[in-house]
Amino acid sequence: MRNTRKTTVSGEYLQHLEQKVEDLKILTEISVLISSTLDLSELMTLVIEKAKSLMDAEACSILLYNKSTNKLEFEVAFCRETSATDILKNKITLDIGQGIAGWVAKHQKVLIINDVQKDTRFYQEADKATGFLTKRLIAVPLVGRRGLIGVAEILNPRKEEYDNEILDILSRHFAIAIENALYYKESLEEERLKQEIEIASVLQKSFLPETPVLRKGNVTVSAINMPAKQVGGDLYDFVEPVEGKLGVFIGDISGKGVSAALYMAKIISDFRYLSHMKESPAPVMNSLNDILSKAPRGMFLTAQYALADVVTGEIQIADAGHPPFLLVRTKEVKVMSGLSGPPLGIVPGTYPVSTYTMKSGDRLLFLTDGVFEAKSREGKRLGFDALVAFVKKKRNDERLIEKIADYVHKFSKGAEMADDLTLMELRFMKDQE
Amino acid sequence: MNIEVIDHKGKKVLTLSGEIDMYSSPELREELMGILIKKVPALYIDFREVSYIDSSGIATFVEGLKYVKSYGGRLQFFSISKGIMDIFKFSKLDRVFEIYGNLDDAINS
Repeated sequence: MRNTRKTTVSGEYLQHLEQKVEDLKILTEISVLISSTLDLSELMTLVIEKAKSLMDAEACSILLYNKSTNKLEFEVAFCRETSATDILKNKITLDIGQGIAGWVAKHQKVLIINDVQKDTRFYQEADKATGFLTKRLIAVPLVGRRGLIGVAEILNPRKEEYDNEILDILSRHFAIAIENALYYKESLEEERLKQEIEIASVLQKSFLPETPVLRKGNVTVSAINMPAKQVGGDLYDFVEPVEGKLGVFIGDISGKGVSAALYMAKIISDFRYLSHMKESPAPVMNSLNDILSKAPRGMFLTAQYALADVVTGEIQIADAGHPPFLLVRTKEVKVMSGLSGPPLGIVPGTYPVSTYTMKSGDRLLFLTDGVFEAKSREGKRLGFDALVAFVKKKRNDERLIEKIADYVHKFSKGAEMADDLTLMELRFMKDQE
Repeated sequence: MNIEVIDHKGKKVLTLSGEIDMYSSPELREELMGILIKKVPALYIDFREVSYIDSSGIATFVEGLKYVKSYGGRLQFFSISKGIMDIFKFSKLDRVFEIYGNLDDAINS
């Protein structure tokens, strides 16, 4: 049997229901609106305008929580004076717990204050800076999935009656929308940085010699350079400063990233200029040392510059704190640590030169620390001694530097390549045609 | 990496532990330069618990060294393990930095 019993409701209840329906309509409208943009400043403006009109308020502001400083910072403010946002944004920050917004951030509770000037928590400086007079205030915490995002403040609302529940739901919607916009902004920023690093990496490559092999007279030089995922600081170059001489330069700049890439570009061009101006490796190193002493943040360069006579095989080498090079002969491998000075750019000084005469068939192997500091998946480093042992085993291999690169590659398989790796060979072979 | 600042009979000692690399050196820089900016006559760095240092870490100390020299101060390292000492010797950095066996030797130098 159908229930035909009638229920009578009071006019007051009906009015209450109508109000609820009205609130829900506004709520839906706002939800659609704030989901329509991922642009943070656009969203902030939307949020604040809606909050202001909903509460019929004189002004509204949003303070965002800065995790790294643990402070609240004004992001946007709306009142008659448009300059207020700039003043607040640049001058006023609040500690967690400081002022009304700080209190709300700390306790994550809505705060409604009917006489602000009498409340001891009120922070007068914002009013003083903008010339605004805060009388009544509603402060709402904005809490997202990652925790506190900020605090929204509604200043001098003329509407006396409002639904706490609606306010609560609204603040949650705002928080999620702001959080999404922040995520979006971060991912855009990340993408931009990634692209910049890629550009830096391409630029860096363009500074290295065009061909990895160069032959002059009895001397042949060749190189392998494997840059790390992040732009690293290895560099090498082949130069012919005067007829009959062939020079090789290898270096590793401290640090990584775009700054290292930029400095590397500067060093290579300085080196190319200096190597043509001065006849011996020592004055080139001395000048580079002067130039680098002005580098920012303690940046320095370990380097070797070897200049070979393409007929006689006499070779002059200047060394600035770079890992030793290896002399590879058919019957032996020698670790060569001759005269050396500290890395370039640290202390003033002059660099000494060592002189050797190569025999036909001798090979010199220059490298950067990325070769022997390569890490395995288990976190073990290859080490210089293991590298030398491998070179001893392969000393008669024609494609020695390729074999070493393969060996290091296999050793660090499965681990991220943390540093650049450069290998350079200088071979002296008499009567080479 | 962990950093601890200790006052040893009125001397400032920075005790480091773990790996000093490109990820941890910004924190080291902040701590180091924060002390040096006050122009302390000498800052002692305890390397006993440092397991690894890369070129970014060394660059941070180079920056500190250049700064102390500008006002006539000293940056002194002590208790460096063999592994770290090898890295320093390899790059001839043992000729750049003041290195001592222990804190007392550094203070009395």
